[in-house]
Amino acid sequence: MPDKGRCGGWDGEKGIFKKVPGSFSRRSERRDTGDGCGSEAVRIHRTKGPAGGGHPGRIARTQANPGRRTAQREGEVMTDRGRAFSAVETVREGFRQTGYICNTEIATIVYLAFHLEKPVLVEGPAGVGKTELAKKAAAFLNVPLIRLQCYEGLDESKALYEWKYGKQLLYTQLLRDKLDQIVRREDDLGESIRTLHRYEDIFFSPQFLEARPLLRALQQEEGAVLLIDEVDKADEEFEAFLLEILSDFQVSIPEIGTVRSRTKPFVFLTSNSTRELSEALKRRCLHLFIPFPDPDLERQIVRHHVPGIPERLEKQLVLFIHEVRRMELKKAPSISETIDWARALILLHAEGLDRDLTRKTLNTFLKFEEDIRAVDEKIFLLVDKAIRETA
Amino acid sequence: MDRVLNRFIVALRGAGVPVSVSESIDAAQALAISGYGDRPVVKSSLGATLAKSVAEKEIFDDCFERFFSFHPLPSELAPAAEPAAGEPSAVLPPIGGMILEGDLGGIALAVRDAARSADLQSIRFFTQRGMFTARILQALNLDQLDRFVADLSPDGSAGAGGTARRIEQGRDAVVDMVRRYVEEQYEIYARESTERVIERYLWDVRLTELEERHYERMHFLIRKLVKRMNDRYSRRRRRSKRGALDFKRTLRANMHHGGLLFDISWKQKKVNRPDVVILCDVSRSMSTVVRFCLLMLYGLNEVVARVRSFVFCSSLLEVSDIFERCPLAEAVERLRTGEGLDIHMGRTDYGSAFWDFTNRHLDAVTGKTTVIILGDARSNYGDPAEGLLKQIADRCRRLIWLNPETPPMWGTGDSEMRRYARLCDLVMECSTLRHLEQLVRVLVRIP
Repeated sequence: MPDKGRCGGWDGEKGIFKKVPGSFSRRSERRDTGDGCGSEAVRIHRTKGPAGGGHPGRIARTQANPGRRTAQREGEVMTDRGRAFSAVETVREGFRQTGYICNTEIATIVYLAFHLEKPVLVEGPAGVGKTELAKKAAAFLNVPLIRLQCYEGLDESKALYEWKYGKQLLYTQLLRDKLDQIVRREDDLGESIRTLHRYEDIFFSPQFLEARPLLRALQQEEGAVLLIDEVDKADEEFEAFLLEILSDFQVSIPEIGTVRSRTKPFVFLTSNSTRELSEALKRRCLHLFIPFPDPDLERQIVRHHVPGIPERLEKQLVLFIHEVRRMELKKAPSISETIDWARALILLHAEGLDRDLTRKTLNTFLKFEEDIRAVDEKIFLLVDKAIRETA
Repeated sequence: MDRVLNRFIVALRGAGVPVSVSESIDAAQALAISGYGDRPVVKSSLGATLAKSVAEKEIFDDCFERFFSFHPLPSELAPAAEPAAGEPSAVLPPIGGMILEGDLGGIALAVRDAARSADLQSIRFFTQRGMFTARILQALNLDQLDRFVADLSPDGSAGAGGTARRIEQGRDAVVDMVRRYVEEQYEIYARESTERVIERYLWDVRLTELEERHYERMHFLIRKLVKRMNDRYSRRRRRSKRGALDFKRTLRANMHHGGLLFDISWKQKKVNRPDVVILCDVSRSMSTVVRFCLLMLYGLNEVVARVRSFVFCSSLLEVSDIFERCPLAEAVERLRTGEGLDIHMGRTDYGSAFWDFTNRHLDAVTGKTTVIILGDARSNYGDPAEGLLKQIADRCRRLIWLNPETPPMWGTGDSEMRRYARLCDLVMECSTLRHLEQLVRVLVRIP
C-alpha cells in the first residue's frame, strides 16, 4: 500500500478541474480512502433542478475545490436539507414543486427514509412512477442521481468497481523501458524483485480504478440519490453483496482499503416483483408499495403535466382509464400513458370524450392488440359511463 | 406507546407477518420521528418498517384496522346512583366501586390491565378462550365481589338489597365484556396460528389419506417447496461457473496477443441437470400421490432438465404432451379425471406396463436418464416381468422406486416390491410431502 509521499508522483491527475456546462460535469475529487491517497476524476450525471429554483430543497453547492470545504459549511448543508425534511407536508410540497405529485404515504416514507438513513424499496406495477420518485428526490435535494440498472448476470465489476485492465497493460508496455532501467541497476534477482515491490501498488492505485455506480454514489461529497433499478432482475448473489453497502454505506477494495461515504447517499431500490427478494435485503429497507393512484390523485397528476386541459375532459379521461384498469388486460395503462393520451386528445382539440375519438386513440395507452380489441368491444359502455358519472 | 407497539407487533406476528427485532426497532424509531398525531402517517410509517411485501401489506392493513380501532363500551351498566352512606365498602374490590359509580372507562381500563396481567396476547388456539376469560375475571377480583354481595344480602335493608342487585347486574355486564374482549383479542393474535398447525399437519399426513378440502393448501405448500428447491439449486449451478483461472484456455485464447493475457477464462465445473422419466401407477389407490408427485416434479425446472411422464394401469401411455400443452394444475386434474386418456383402467399389471414401455418407449431412456417408478408394486399376482425392468435398469443412469406403502408392507400379499427392489438403485417410501422433499434431495445429489 503506497503512502502519501510515494503517491506524490501521480499528482498530475489531481489538477483536472474543469466545469463543463450542461448536465455533465467533470471535476476532481479528493477521496479519503483510508490510506489518504485518493484523487481521481469522477464523472457524474447531474439531474437538472426545477426551473423555478429556490424551493426548500435547494442546497448551496460548493463550486470551489471541495478540499477547502469546512465543517461549518457541511453543517449549513445539513440544516438546509433538514429544513427540506422538517415535516411530511414539506416533503410533499417540495415534491410537488419538482413535478411529482404524491400521496401522504409516499411522502411519509420518503421523510422517514431521510431521517432514518435507510434505503427505500419501492414496489408496484409498471408505470406508476417508481423510477420517477428517485429522479425527483434527486431534484428535490439538488444532488446528482446515480443510477444502476440491474440485469441478470450483473456483478461487482459492473456495479461497484473494476480495474482498468487495458490501461494497466498499456502503461506496463509504455513504461517497459523505465522498468528495465530500474531493474537493470540490480544484478541479483531477489534484489530486483524487492525493488519492483516498492512500485507494484502503482498499478493498483485509484488512477486505475474504474468506479461503477455504487462506488460513485459513495464518493459523492455532498451525497447523492442512488437508484438501484429493478433489483429483482439481478441474481441473488448480487443482492447479498448489496447488503454491506446498504447497511454500512462502505465497501472494501482489497488493494486500496475501505471506502466510506462522507454523506450517506439516499438509496432507492425498485422492484417489479418478478421474484421474491431476500428477507435480509427487505429487512434493511423501508418498504413502499405504490399502487395505481386513486382518481383524485391521478387527476391532479394529469392537470399538472397537461396544463390547460379542459376540466370535463380531464375528469372523463381519468374515469375511463380507471374503468379500463379494472378489466383483465395484458397490460393495464400506466400513469405516463394516461398523460400521453391526454396530450393526444388536446392535440385533437377534444373538449370531452366521445366514442369515435376514444376508439381512434386507444393505441396511445393500450399496447397489445388483444387489449385494444377487448376495450373496443366495451367502448360504448365505458365511454357512456365516464360521461354519465362526470355529468 | 412502546408497549402498544410491542403488542401490535405480537399481533402482526400472530397474523403471519414475520417481524424481526431490527424491524421493530426501526418501527419505534420511525414513530418517534413521524409522531403519533396523524393516523395515516402512523399507518404508513409502521407499514413501511414492518410489512415488506404486497401480501404482508394486506395482512398489515387488516391487522392495523382491527388493532387500532375504537370499540364503544357496552352501556348496560345501570346509571350511577347516589352512594348510600355508611355502607361497608372496606371489602369492596375496586371493580365493585367502579360498577357502583358507573365508571365505564375505569372498568374498560381495569379489564385491559387484567388482560395484560393474564398474558392474553399469548393466546393461540380457540380452545384457550375459556381459560383466559377465567384468568382475567380472577385478576379483576370478581370472586371477592361475589363474597361482598353475599355478605350484603342477609342484611335485608332496602338500600343494601338495591346495591347488591346493582352490583350483580354490573358483574354480569363485566363478565360479558371480558368474554367479548377475549374473543376480539383471539381474532387479533391467533387467527393465523391455526393455519400454521394445519400446515404442519399437512407435511406429515399420508397423501393417500388427504382430504380433498386440503388440496388447495397442499398445492400452495408444494409451490413453496418447489420454489425453495429451485432457488437453492440454481444458486449452486451458477456458483459452479466461477472458480480458478483456466490457465491453459487463457493462454490458448491469447496467443494472438503475443502472450499478453487480454481475455481471461475461468475454469468451469459442469453441473448436469438430470433427465427424468417417470412411470406412474394411476390405479385409484395411487392417484393422490401421483398428483402431488407430478405437480412437484414439473415445477422443478431448475433442478430437472426434462421430464417425460408415463402413466399405466393395465396398459401404459405417455402423458408428457398434456403437461406441455396445459397449465400444471389443469394437467394433473385431467390425469385424475382420465379425460381424453386412452388407457385401460383394469387391474394393475406391472408386467404388461413394463412390456409396453420397453417395446415402445425404451429410447426415452439413455445413460443420462433417471428413471422413477411410482407405484405400490401390487401386480394382482400377474407376471412381475423382472427381466424387462432389468433392461430398463441397465440402460438408465439411476432407477428409483417410490412406494407409497410403508416398508413393512413391502413384499406382503401380491406386492412384488422385494423382487423389484433388487434391481433398483434406490427404493424410497413416498407417502407424505416430506418424502417428496427427500426425493428432490436425491435427484440433486447426482452420483
